[in-house]
Amino acid sequence: MNEKATPLPAKQSPGLGGHWSTLTSKYSIYLVLVGMIFISSFLNPAFFSEANFSNVSRQISITTILAFGQTLLIICGMIDLAQGSVMALAGLLAVIFYKNTGLLVPSLFVGMLVGVLCNLASGLIVVRFNTPPFIATLAMQTAGRGLALLLTAGQNIYQLGNFVVWGQGVILGIPTPVIFLIGVTAFTWYLLNHWRLGRYIYAVGGNQEAARATGIQVKKTKLLAFAANGVFVGLAGVLYMSRVNAGLPNAGVGFEFDAMTAAIIGGTSFSGGVGTAIGTLAGAFIMGFLSNIMNLIGIQSYVQQIVKGAIIVMAVAYDIASKSKRRKAILGEKSPAK
Amino acid sequence: MKISLKQTLVIAVAAITANFGAISTSYAEAAKYRVAYIARAQGDSFAAWLANAIVKETARYPDLSVTVFDGQSRNDLIESHIENAVQNKFDLIIIQPFDPAIQIDPVKRAMAKKMKVIATNPKFSDDSIPSVDANPYQQGAENAKLALTQVPQNAQVVVLLGPAGNPHSMGRREAWQKEFFDKRKDVKIIDEKIANWNKDEGMQLTEDWIQSHPKIDAVISMNDNMAAGAIEAIKGSGAKTYPLIYGVDGTAEACLLIKDGKMTSTTLQNANTLAEKSLKLAHEMLTGDPKEFHDTIQAELITKDNVDKYIDLHKQLGDIK
Repeated sequence: MNEKATPLPAKQSPGLGGHWSTLTSKYSIYLVLVGMIFISSFLNPAFFSEANFSNVSRQISITTILAFGQTLLIICGMIDLAQGSVMALAGLLAVIFYKNTGLLVPSLFVGMLVGVLCNLASGLIVVRFNTPPFIATLAMQTAGRGLALLLTAGQNIYQLGNFVVWGQGVILGIPTPVIFLIGVTAFTWYLLNHWRLGRYIYAVGGNQEAARATGIQVKKTKLLAFAANGVFVGLAGVLYMSRVNAGLPNAGVGFEFDAMTAAIIGGTSFSGGVGTAIGTLAGAFIMGFLSNIMNLIGIQSYVQQIVKGAIIVMAVAYDIASKSKRRKAILGEKSPAK
Repeated sequence: MKISLKQTLVIAVAAITANFGAISTSYAEAAKYRVAYIARAQGDSFAAWLANAIVKETARYPDLSVTVFDGQSRNDLIESHIENAVQNKFDLIIIQPFDPAIQIDPVKRAMAKKMKVIATNPKFSDDSIPSVDANPYQQGAENAKLALTQVPQNAQVVVLLGPAGNPHSMGRREAWQKEFFDKRKDVKIIDEKIANWNKDEGMQLTEDWIQSHPKIDAVISMNDNMAAGAIEAIKGSGAKTYPLIYGVDGTAEACLLIKDGKMTSTTLQNANTLAEKSLKLAHEMLTGDPKEFHDTIQAELITKDNVDKYIDLHKQLGDIK
């Protein structure tokens, strides 16, 4: 059957209004962040200060590092529900290693190694048995927590000594967790934008079968995404234990959900194939500033939870609505023949 | 014969299950009476200390065996553990409730089926359920009475609370209200928030409070973990002096902080004593007729003057090496 091709409409200049619309839709999440900073500055004078920005950056660094791991996995069409448990296990093993050997730098690598091994185990279950990542990482969540508790008999470990430099140190006026956060942000951005693996991650998450048809090794890509997540989770574990100056087997409960929230607010799509490192960073800062300003102005704990929920929904709804507007504009102009 | 990966996994799981079963059975069969200990959450450091102390204390009673079940801070799971203990014909349950208002119904149902039950830390509001508990009011009151003389005039204080609705957090807070705030009208609470017993949450709240309130004279915390978090935040802010900081529990970390002069006081909720009294009551209930079905342990105030004694206790427990 022959179909008559509809002629493409003449390309029109978007004009000033169009430019503004494109800008707001493309950078909506950053506008939300800037708006939040602007409003918060009037709500409390202590908010817009170098000390407070340093404070918030330090507070969000661990969750944001985890959020970059979730971003890679979600873009690749997967998820990690074990981040909190594996973070606790990796951090504890790093603490135990440090307390027994006194070796500071290797302790950081021990944490990351544990993170990678646990994530590779989850990844192998996913690719070897075609298990949904939800199930494989849920199993790892339970096993990881059990191991952490078994290792310590449920007791906290104190007196970490110099181990605290990872989470409490300051280099050139910048808190060490923030330095690690900058490093992880740069790494994730570079991986997603300039490495072949980054393109493969987008391709596998966007359409796994199409990616396979083009010759991409889907299983290997998934395993590498899990491994990268493992490095981040292990690092987060070391930073967390060091920041609170204790080895806590019950650390990180629910952290994976905070990490997912930051990624999703930052524009990562749960259906896979979409997301950016800078978007996730913006999402994490929105969450961090929100929590910070509510504490600064003394909002009650119960009310904070309600406000957080409402603002998450509003931010995401605004982001989705502006993207949908943009998509309609693009489709209206460029694909009428479809 | 070639064994596939799937078969290997099945064999491994079966072997592990059988092994654990054997350990559990042989341990249980050696004793005349089987006790199920349902811990609130093995991930909670105090609950873990109590569970370990219960297991250790059992060695004093050759006719008792104890099996520990982890409630994982989940009401549904704790209810299942209670039902399973009845089903598996344990002779007695010692339960550390997570939410007493919720656990009271399954406990009463178990008692209706002739199951003997003891509640520990906290107890139930129903006195028909035997109990061994610490007194949260007294734990808060000991610190509050000390603070009456220490907190300066017109002081600004912040308060860190445990989980919403937790009877121990509420009992301690009530003591602070009656024994301190009602008597010191000059003191202003500049903020009061829930940090869920957690060190990291206590730390984050205090970091924010330091930004918005340059003058904090005292941190009043309903447990030691949150107080220790506040201390980390103050340390991180570069402050040269520490405000008055009060906690509850008498953890190893709190004792070391008191020794260092960074924390003011705490009250010991001695898990060893709770375990000792719980097992004693359990043994009496199983072998005869106890005279008293309710027992309370006394809170011990720990300050710089007597902290060495408690550091020694934690060294014996292996918490401080």
